[in-house]
Amino acid sequence: MSETIDIHAPGVEVKKSCCYFCHQNCGVLAYVKDGKVLKIEGDPSHPTNQGGLCTRGNIALLHLDHPDRINYPLKRAGEKGSNQWERISWDQAISEIAEKLNQIKAESGAEAVATAGGTLRTEDWARRRFMNMFGSPNGFHNALLCWIPTFMVETAVSGWSPFETDLADSRCVILWGFNPGASGMPSMRGYSDLKKNGLKIIVVDPRYSETAAHADLWLPLRPGSDTALALAMIHVVIYEGLANMEFVNNWCIGYEELAQHVAQYSPEWAAEHTWLEPELIRQAARIYAKSSPSNIQWGCTADQLGKTAGAGMHARAVLRAITGNLDCPGGDLMPGPAMNYVTDEELEANEWLPEEQKAKQIGADKFKLCSWPGYQLISDICKETWGKAPTAEWMCEAHGPSVFKAILTGDPYQIRALLVSATNPVNSYGDAKMTLEALKRVEFMVTCEYWMTPAALYSDYVMPIAGALERPTIHNNYGVTDSLLASQRAIQPLYERKTDYEFWRLLALASGQDEDQWPWETLEEVFYYVTYSFTSLGYQFNSYDEFVEKYRFYYPPLHYYKYGNNGFCTPSRRVELKSSILEELGYPSLPTWIGPAENEIDDPELAEEYPLVLTTGGGFMPYHHSEQFNISPLRFLRHDPYFTINPIKAKELHIKDGDWCWIETRRGRMKQRANVEPSVHEKVIYAQRGWWYPENGPEGDAPYGCLESNVNMLSSVDDEHCDPIGGSWANRGLLCKVYKVKYGDEPDIQFSIPGSSKVPGVTVMPSDQRLAYELIPYNPLPTFEVPEGLTWDKGTKIAWDLERGLAYDPDSGWLYDPETSVFFDLETRFAYDPETETLVDEAGTHYDMTTKQPLGDITPAVADVEGGE
Amino acid sequence: MSHAMNNDKLNKHFWVWPIACYLFLGGLGGGILFFAGLFDLIFAPMFGTSIGSVFALGVFLGVVALGVGTFLLVFELGQPFVFLRVFLSKTAIIKWGAVLLSVALIFGFVYFLFYLPPEWNLFYYGWTWIRDICCAVMMITGICVVLYTGVLLSSFKARAFWNTPVLPVLFTVSALSTASALLAVTAGLWPAPEYLILGGFAALPMHDLAEYFVEIMHLIDTVLVAVEIVVLLVYVVMMYAAGNNTARAMALKWLKGAYAPLFWGGMVLLGLLLPLFFYLSGGVLASIIAPIFVLAAGLLLRFMVVFSDVRRPIPGEERFYSRLPKGDERFLSANDCKSH
Amino acid sequence: MTRYAMVMDQRRCIGCQSCTVACRTWNDLPMDIMFNPVVSEGVQGVYPNVHQVFTPLICMHCDNPPCTICCPTNASQQDEDGIVWVDSTKCMGCKVCVNACPYGARDVSALDPFLKSFVRKCDFCKDRVREGEQPYCVATCHQKARIFGDLDDPNSEVSKLVGGLAVTTIFPELGTEPQVYYIPDLGGAK
Ligand SMILES: Nc1nc2c(c(=O)[nH]1)N[C@H]1C(S)=C(S)[C@@H](COP(=O)(O)OP(=O)(O)OC[C@H]3O[C@@H](n4cnc5c(=O)[nH]c(N)nc54)[C@H](O)[C@@H]3O)O[C@H]1N2
Ligand SMILES: Nc1nc2c(c(=O)[nH]1)N[C@H]1C(S)=C(S)[C@@H](COP(=O)(O)OP(=O)(O)OC[C@H]3O[C@@H](n4cnc5c(=O)[nH]c(N)nc54)[C@H](O)[C@@H]3O)O[C@H]1N2
Ligand code: SF4
Ligand code: SF4
Ligand code: SF4
Ligand code: SF4
Ligand code: SF4
Ligand SMILES: [Mo]
Repeated sequence: MSETIDIHAPGVEVKKSCCYFCHQNCGVLAYVKDGKVLKIEGDPSHPTNQGGLCTRGNIALLHLDHPDRINYPLKRAGEKGSNQWERISWDQAISEIAEKLNQIKAESGAEAVATAGGTLRTEDWARRRFMNMFGSPNGFHNALLCWIPTFMVETAVSGWSPFETDLADSRCVILWGFNPGASGMPSMRGYSDLKKNGLKIIVVDPRYSETAAHADLWLPLRPGSDTALALAMIHVVIYEGLANMEFVNNWCIGYEELAQHVAQYSPEWAAEHTWLEPELIRQAARIYAKSSPSNIQWGCTADQLGKTAGAGMHARAVLRAITGNLDCPGGDLMPGPAMNYVTDEELEANEWLPEEQKAKQIGADKFKLCSWPGYQLISDICKETWGKAPTAEWMCEAHGPSVFKAILTGDPYQIRALLVSATNPVNSYGDAKMTLEALKRVEFMVTCEYWMTPAALYSDYVMPIAGALERPTIHNNYGVTDSLLASQRAIQPLYERKTDYEFWRLLALASGQDEDQWPWETLEEVFYYVTYSFTSLGYQFNSYDEFVEKYRFYYPPLHYYKYGNNGFCTPSRRVELKSSILEELGYPSLPTWIGPAENEIDDPELAEEYPLVLTTGGGFMPYHHSEQFNISPLRFLRHDPYFTINPIKAKELHIKDGDWCWIETRRGRMKQRANVEPSVHEKVIYAQRGWWYPENGPEGDAPYGCLESNVNMLSSVDDEHCDPIGGSWANRGLLCKVYKVKYGDEPDIQFSIPGSSKVPGVTVMPSDQRLAYELIPYNPLPTFEVPEGLTWDKGTKIAWDLERGLAYDPDSGWLYDPETSVFFDLETRFAYDPETETLVDEAGTHYDMTTKQPLGDITPAVADVEGGE
Repeated sequence: MSHAMNNDKLNKHFWVWPIACYLFLGGLGGGILFFAGLFDLIFAPMFGTSIGSVFALGVFLGVVALGVGTFLLVFELGQPFVFLRVFLSKTAIIKWGAVLLSVALIFGFVYFLFYLPPEWNLFYYGWTWIRDICCAVMMITGICVVLYTGVLLSSFKARAFWNTPVLPVLFTVSALSTASALLAVTAGLWPAPEYLILGGFAALPMHDLAEYFVEIMHLIDTVLVAVEIVVLLVYVVMMYAAGNNTARAMALKWLKGAYAPLFWGGMVLLGLLLPLFFYLSGGVLASIIAPIFVLAAGLLLRFMVVFSDVRRPIPGEERFYSRLPKGDERFLSANDCKSH
Repeated sequence: MTRYAMVMDQRRCIGCQSCTVACRTWNDLPMDIMFNPVVSEGVQGVYPNVHQVFTPLICMHCDNPPCTICCPTNASQQDEDGIVWVDSTKCMGCKVCVNACPYGARDVSALDPFLKSFVRKCDFCKDRVREGEQPYCVATCHQKARIFGDLDDPNSEVSKLVGGLAVTTIFPELGTEPQVYYIPDLGGAK
C-alpha cells in the first residue's frame, strides 16, 4: 500500500478525521482524493493520540468498505430472522417506519416505542430529541454499565462528577477497576509518562491486568467487593486522622454521622469480603490520603457490580471529599457543564416531554437516580447553579433490561416497537438469552447498524449508517464536560449510508415533527451551531469544517475551587457526605455496605454449587465490546475466546491450557477456552466479553453463534441483583462453576425471567420482583415552620396555599404566585401593589401595609414594605 | 489460500521434501562419482580401463541422481532464470553447492559417454586423458558435493539441530554408504564396449571383475554402515546432552517422541542394523536386499534431518504462535480474507 | 554515517499488538505473514506475586546478518544505514535466508512448493524513514514503547537509551549483533 500511494500527489487532500472505535477518539489524518480515502494515519498533532493508533484504528479502511457492511436500507422480506431482505429507498423506509410508529402511538401511547443504544458512539442527543418530541420516555442505553450511575451518584454528592483528574500536579492516583492498558491506549501512555515522573499508581483489580503490571501498589481484591474496600478506606482515613478537616469543616456536611456510620467498616471487617490483608487496605488508604493531591480514576467496574455498585460510588465520592481532593490543583476536578458552547442537553429538547410521560418511564419507580426522579432533582439544581444541566440522554433513561422484560411480559405495559441504534444488545446487555428473546418477539424493530448483528437480523428495517470517516464528530464526554474535540468527515458517506443524526431527523419529520425544530440538515450545521459561541472568544471560523481545520479542539483554562463563590451544586451547597438527594429518592443517605450480587457470605448454599467467583468484565485488545469479530486481521490475533483460570484450580479441575470449558452460573452456561495463568486468584474466573461468531451465519435459534461464548448469558439483570440506586446490573462478582466441554454437550438457549437455567420461562412478573433492599420512604421535612392553613408538599418542598395556588416564601414570610410572581399578604391574602406600596384585595380596594386597614385615598407610600408579620 | 496457511512460524518447515530429496540425491550422486573416479584412476592401471564399465550403470544413475537433485533444487529454490544469479553470488554457500553440482554433473556425464557403444561415442577411445581428467574432477567434486550437503545444513546457526559439525560427517558417511550400495547393486550390469577391453588384467572376464568389485563395495559399505551407526548415535546423543534446550527437545523427539518410531525402527533397525547383518550374512541378502535398505535409510535420514529444522524460540513465541489460527477456522474464509 | 536502530521499552509495552496490525495494514501483508508480532510467555509466578513482560519482535537489522551472506541472489541485502531488506524482484524464494535468521524475522507467503514465492520481511519502513518519518509501527504505538533513530547520532533518543541504560539484545551469543535493543521490565507490582 505504502509504495503505491503518494499522499503528496496533486489533488490529495488531508482531512482531520478521527477514529471512533472507542471513546478516545484518536485523531486521524485521512488522505483523500476524488471522494476516496487513500490512506489514513494517526494525527501526530492531535492531543489525545499524538500519532498513535491502536489495532482498531489501523483497520479503519477495511471497516469503511468491508464486504459485509450494510450499505442500503433493508426491509424484511420473509419471516423475522430469516435473513431475507428487500432493498428499498431511504424515503420508503423512513415513511413506512414513521407510519408504523405513529400507529403504535395512536393505539398504545408514545411510551410503547422504546429505543436501545449502547455506549457513546454517535449523536445520541438527536435520538433524545426525537423521543422527547415523539413523547416517549423509554429511551435507554447500556450506559448503566458505563459511568452513568457513577456520574449521577457523584453529582448527587458533590454537585458534579469530579472525573477530570488533574494528573500533572498529582502525586498519587488510584486506578479503580480500570485497565487503560487494554481499554484506553492513549491514557495508558499518560500514566506511564507520569509514573516516570514520580506519580504513584495504585491499581484495584482482581486480575493482574496490563495496568496492574505497572502499579506501585496492586490491590488484588475479590471481584465485586470494591464497595467494602472503599468503605474500609474511609474508615482508615477517618480513624487514623488522615481526613482534611479544614475542607471537611468548611465544605462538607454529614461528617459526624459518616464517622459514626463507618466505624463498623474496619479493614479487618473488609478483609473477609475483599480477601485483602487489612494492612494492605490501610497502606492504600494512607498512601492515597497522605499523598494529596491525589486522584481516584473511575473504572468501568464501578458500574458493573450490580446491587453493591451505588454504595461503592458513594463511598469513593466521600473518600475524595474527606481527603480534600475535590477541585483543587492536582485533584479531581469538576468541569461542570460547558459554558462556552451548546451542550448536548440544550439540543435534547427535554422540555418537550410532558410530565405524565416522564412518569411512565419504565424502571423509574425502582431505579430512581438515573431516571426522571433523580435526574429531575439534579438537573433542577444544576440549572439553578449554571443555567445548564447534564445530558438527559444517558443520565435519565428507562431501565434497559426492564424494557426487554416488558416486551416479553407486557408488564408494566406492552412495549411494541424498539429502535436499536449503535448497540448489539445480545452481546452487551445482561442476560443475553432473555434479551435475544425480546428482540425476537418485539412487534416492530428497526436497527441502525454497520453490520448484520443478531439484533439487526430480527429487525423489520435495517438502516445503513455512516462511520467515523464519513461523518463529523464532536467528542465531549457524554456532553458533561467543558472541553471538546472536533473532527471532520474525510468523505461523504459511501453507498446509501447516512449518519444517525440524519436518520433521527428524517424520522422526526416523517412522523410529523415540526421542521423548525430540526433546522439543521447536516451534522456540520449542528456543530457549527454548537461551536458558534467560540467566535465570541476570538476564534475565527465560518463553518464547522473551518473550526476543525484551524482549531480542532477546545480546552478552557483549568479553574480550581469553582465552589468558592456559590458553594457546590447540591441542595445544601456543600459536599453532602450524607446525601439528601439519595435520601430523598429512598436510598441510604450514607454509603452502606451491601454484598455483591452473588457471594459466598450471604449465600453459602449457592456457593456450594457455584464455588468460583466470576467476573465478566474487562476490555481486551484487539476488540471493542462485540465489534471487529468480523474483521479478519484482528480476529486473526485472537480467534477464540479465552477465560482465565489459576493453574492450581485448573489442575484440580483437570483443565489444560486451551481446553474448551463451560462456565456456568445460575442463569446458564457458555463456553470459552482455558487460559491457564496465575493472573487471577485460585477461586476467580475471568471470562472475556463480547464474543460472537459472525462467520457462523444467521441460521438457527441463536444466529451468528451469539449464545456460544457470550459471557452475558452469565450476568444477571434480576431486579434483586441490580443496584437500586443506579439500576446497573451484575457483571462482576458472580458465582460460577467451570468444567470441560464434552462431546455432544448441548448449547444453552432457553430464556427465563428471573434468570435461571433450571426454570425456563417467566416465573415472576417484573413488577413482583423485589429490589436488593426496600426503598426507604422519605418525607423531607420543612426547614421552617409551616404557617397555619398552608400545606407542606415534600415533592416541591414548598408550603402551599392550595386553594389559591400560592407558594410560601419562608425568607420574606409572604405568599407568591409562582406564575405571575405577585406577592400576597399571608394573613389577609391581599395582593401587594408595588406602585402604591399598598395591599389590594380582589375588588380593588387598597389597604394599609401594616394596619391592613382599608385606605380611602391612595397616596404614594412611605411605609417600609419589609415585614409581613 | 487458507489450506496452505501455516501460522506457526516456529514449527513451520520452510524446506520440505524437494530439499530432502536433493540432499539425498546429491549425496548419492556425489558419492558414486567419487568412488567411480577413485576406482578408475587408481585401480584402472591394475585392472585395465575396462574397470569403468563395471560401474558404468552406477555412474549413469549417479549422474541422473545429480540431475534430478539439481532439478529439485532449482525447482524448490526458485525460478530457473533467477536461479542463474546464484552463480554470481560471492558468499552464499548455496552457490558452492550449485557450482560443485554442475561441475560434477558435467564431468560425470562426459565420463559416462566413454561407455556408450562406439557408434554413439563422441570421443576417440584413445583419449584416455580426458577420462582421467574426468575421473579426477569427479573424485574431487564428488566428495565435495557429499560434504557440501551436510555443511549446508550445519551452517545454519539459527537451526539448533543442524548446527553441528557432526552433521556433515554423518551425511558424508551416509552418502558414501548409499553410493557404495547402489554401485554394488548395479555393478556389471552395463555391457562394456569391446574396445575398452585392453591390456592389464584384461584376461579377467567382465563377470569376475564385477564380482570382485562388488565384494570390495560390500566390504566398504559394511564398514560405512557400522561407522554410520556410531556417528548417528553420537549426533543424536550429542544433541541431547550438549545441545541447547531446543536441540535437546528435538533429540528427545527423535529418541522418544514423534520421530522415535522412524528413528529406532526405520533408521537404526531397518536402515543400519539389518543391512549390517545382511552384509555379514552374504548371499542375496547382501547383494540385493541390504543395498536397498541402505538406500532407503539414506533417504529417510535426509527427511528426518530436514524436518528437524527447529529454531530456538524467543521467549513467548511458542505461546503466541500456538494461539494463532491453524488455517481451517471458519472466519478465514470470510470475505475480507479472500481479498488477500 | 547513519545507523538505524530500534529500542523496545518493555517497561511501556502493554502487548496491545497495534504495531502488528499497523504493519500488516501499511504493508498490505497477507493474513499469515507478520513482520512484528508481540510475544509474551504470559503471566509468570504465583498469584499475587506475578509478573508479565511483552516482547515486541521485528527484524533485528543485525550488524552481522547471517541472512544476507547466505543469499545466493543478493536479493537480501544490507544498506549503509544498516537496513536489511529483500529486493523482491531478485529473490527466487530459496528460503535459505529464512532458515538462516535466528529471529524468525523472515517469511514466505506461499509454502506450497508448486507456487512462486518470495521472502518478505520488515525493512524498517525504509521509504518512510528516508523521508524523515518514523517507521509505521513506531508512529502507531500509543505507548511510545518503540523508539527508532540513528545510533550514530549521539543526540538521538536511541543512542541515549542504548548508551545510558542496561539494554539487552536477543540471542547476543549468536554474534549477529542485533540492532534492536530491549529495555527490560524488571519491575512488577508489589
Ligand atoms: N459482561 C459484560 N458486559 C458488558 C461490559 C462488560 O465489561 N462485561 N461492558 C459494558 C460496557 S462498558 C458497555 S459501554 C457496553 C457496550 O455495549 P454496546 O455499545 O452495545 O457495544 P457493542 O456490542 O460493541 O455494540 C455496538 C454496535 O453499534 C454499532 N455501531 C458502532 N458505531 C455506530 C454508529 O455510529 N452508529 C450506529 N448506528 N451503530 C454503530 C456496532 O457495529 C456494534 O454492532 O457493553 C457493556 N457490556
Ligand atoms: N480494547 C477495548 N477497549 C475499550 C473497550 C473495549 O471493549 N475493548 N470498551 C470501552 C468502554 S465502552 C469502556 S466503558 C472502557 C472500560 O474500560 P475500563 O474502565 O478499564 O473497564 P474494564 O476494561 O471493563 O475493566 C477494567 C478492569 O476491571 C477488572 N475487574 C473485573 N472485575 C472487577 C471487580 O470486581 N473489581 C475491580 N476492582 N476490578 C475488576 C478487570 O480485570 C479489568 O482489568 O473501555 C473502553 N475501551
Ligand atoms: S479504537 Fe484505538 S485508535 Fe480508535 S480511538 Fe480508540 S484507542 Fe484510538
Ligand atoms: S503498539 Fe506498542 S505497546 Fe502495543 S504491542 Fe506494539 S510496542 Fe507494545
Ligand atoms: S533479524 Fe534475521 S532477517 Fe533480520 S537482519 Fe538479523 S538475521 Fe537478518
Ligand atoms: S529467499 Fe530470496 S532473499 Fe532469501 S536467500 Fe533466497 S534469494 Fe535470497
Ligand atoms: S518498521 Fe515498518 S516494516 Fe518493519 S515492522 Fe515496523 S511497520 Fe513493519
Ligand atoms: Mo463502556
